[in-house]
Parts: sequence; C-alpha cells; structure tokens
Amino acid sequence: MQPAPASPIATFAARAVMLAVVWWMLTVGDPSAWGFGAVVIALVAALSVLLFPPSIHRLRPLGLLQFMAYFLGHSVIAGVDVARRLLTPSLPIKPGEITLSLRLPEGGPRWLLANTLSLMPGTLSVHLEENQLTVHCLDTSDAIEPGVRQAEFQVARAFGITLDPPEGVRA
Amino acid sequence: MFDGLVIAVQLVLLVAGCVFFALGSLGLFRFPDTLTRIHALTKADNLGLGFIVLALLPLAPSFAAGFKTLLIWVVALAASATSAHLVARAVRGNTSGGPRTEDDDG
Amino acid sequence: MTVVLLGVAAFLLLTLLLALIRIWRGPEAADRMLASQLFGTTGVALLLVLAYAHSWPALMDVALILAVLSVLAVAAFVTRVVRIDREDTAEESGNAESREEPHV
Repeated sequence: MQPAPASPIATFAARAVMLAVVWWMLTVGDPSAWGFGAVVIALVAALSVLLFPPSIHRLRPLGLLQFMAYFLGHSVIAGVDVARRLLTPSLPIKPGEITLSLRLPEGGPRWLLANTLSLMPGTLSVHLEENQLTVHCLDTSDAIEPGVRQAEFQVARAFGITLDPPEGVRA
Repeated sequence: MFDGLVIAVQLVLLVAGCVFFALGSLGLFRFPDTLTRIHALTKADNLGLGFIVLALLPLAPSFAAGFKTLLIWVVALAASATSAHLVARAVRGNTSGGPRTEDDDG
Repeated sequence: MTVVLLGVAAFLLLTLLLALIRIWRGPEAADRMLASQLFGTTGVALLLVLAYAHSWPALMDVALILAVLSVLAVAAFVTRVVRIDREDTAEESGNAESREEPHV
C-alpha cells in the first residue's frame, strides 16, 4: 500500500532543479551568477538529501496545482470574510476553539495543513500535537469541521495520499 | 487599448490591496483579543499583499523579476502563517484556563 | 504609474503607522509580537511597491530578507519572552519544533 521513498539520486536531482529555479528567480536571470550558483545548488541539494532523506510523501505536480487553486480561492474568501465581519457594526464574531483528529500522516503533510488553515476562512492553527490539531475559530457558530476536512483532503491530494473523502464534500 | 485595460486592472488591484491592508489595521483595533487580531492581520494583510503583487506583475522588467516577486509573496505567506501559529501558541500557553470552549461539532 | 505607486506606498505607510499605535498600546506582550508579523506583510508590500516605483531591484531583496527575518524575530520572541518552550514538557516541544521544519 505505502509507496517506497524515491532513490536519493532522484531526490537530489529533483531538489537541484527546484533550487536552480529559485536561484534563477533570486538573481533575476543574471547569467554571470550561474558559476557560483551551480556550486551552491549542488552543495545545498546534497546537504538537503543528507539532512532530510527522501520521504514517501512527495508533492505531485497535478495535485499541487489543484491545491494552489483551492488555496488562492479560499484565501480570497478568508479575506472577504474577515472584512465583512469587521465592517458589520455589531462585529459578528464568536471566538472559540475546536480540537480535531487529523488523518494525514505526520511530517510535511500535517505541517502544510496547519499553516494552510491559518490562512483559510475563520480558522487559525493554535496547537499541533501528534495528530491532534487545535484550531482557533473566529465564529464557532459556523460549521468549522467541513472546511478543515476539505483542506485536509486538498493537502492529501497534493501529496498523493488517498484519504476517504469526507462526507458532504465533493471529491 | 490593451495597455489601457491592463492599467485599469492594475489600478483596481492596487486599490483593493490598500483596502485590505487598511482593514487588517482596523482589525487590530476592533477585534477584542490577541487571537482574533491575529485572524484579521493574517488573512486581510495576506490578501492585500496578493493584490499588490498581482498589480505589480505587469511592470516587471523581466520574467525572472516577475517570478521573484511571486516568490517573495509565497515566502511572505509562509512567514505570516508561521508567525501566526507561533504567536497563537504562545498566547494560549500563557492563558491556560482562559476562555476555551471544547466544541466538537462533527 | 510611478505617482500612483508612490501614493500606494504612502497609504501603506499610513496603515503601518496606525497599526503601530495598537502595538504601542499593547496591552499584552503578544499584541506587541504582532508588530513583527505586520512588518512581514505590510513592510514587504511597501518595499515591493517602492522597488517597482523607483525601478530599484535591490529593494526586492530587502523585502525578501524582511519576510524571512520577521519569522525569526517571532520565533526568538516566543521562546525568549513568553517561553513557550517551558510551557510544554521539553521533549514534546522539541518534537513539535522538528516537525515544523519545512522540507522540500
């Protein structure tokens, strides 16, 4: 069931390509920066393979694109939601916390979900311990859990992990 | 004609960005406690930054500069989410026994 | 466009100043920590706008560094001032820290 981790050489190559893209952005495409850049990229990629060995959870390009679309759409909703509450004279908030059990494996996926939720409508990750995530909610009279489950599903898809789609959420 | 359209879109995005930054600052005053203020700051300001980055993209002198601007936005998003989480965790750890409702609506 | 961008920069500076009043008034230390997060977003936006307005690409590097350093400032603050590392037992907070490392 669990896929095997990628080989160290494939991981090295993938990370080196990614670092090269970042280097290209940072140096704004200056050709004279590549001599130094090649050395740095090789060293950093090698070091990253040593420090963070290949994980079975790799980002999938298609899933990552779908996740980014979901993320962008929902961060707009989040901003508009906060704006609407702020501009309503009665200030309709009802702060509180809920604790949920995550179904994601630990490591990168859980970390990505916790950080994503802080930017999603009405949720703020407060505490992550084992698989128990405590979320601070702007309004506990809203249904919080379906939104969290949907974000969890999107993160799982970005990493190519299969979860059962949560009830009431379109897969 | 096309240039005019791009400039119009840029202006709209710049104004939207400014509005969300202003709302983020307003949230710091209107919301009652630190945790809700973090909500306002994280969400409104990141949306404002997103709008401003989009408005600046057509002005980028090269593709690489445009991508660099996007990279800065992504770094700022990650920075903001991480800061929000750290401050929230610190606040909650500090006021244990404060207002917390274990509300499991699932 | 330069004039518009400078106007936007002035407006962002104004919202930053307003927010700084809240930071100044506190009342809690955590409210003051939000200043770092504020500079991480509003400050970055301000620097990006100025970088494009004056065609001064070095300001983009400043914006990038500011975003990265803002997290470090918060991390230093929560461990040194509020001491979240002492709130939990030592081993579990150590685990949480290592789990939060982004790896690519």
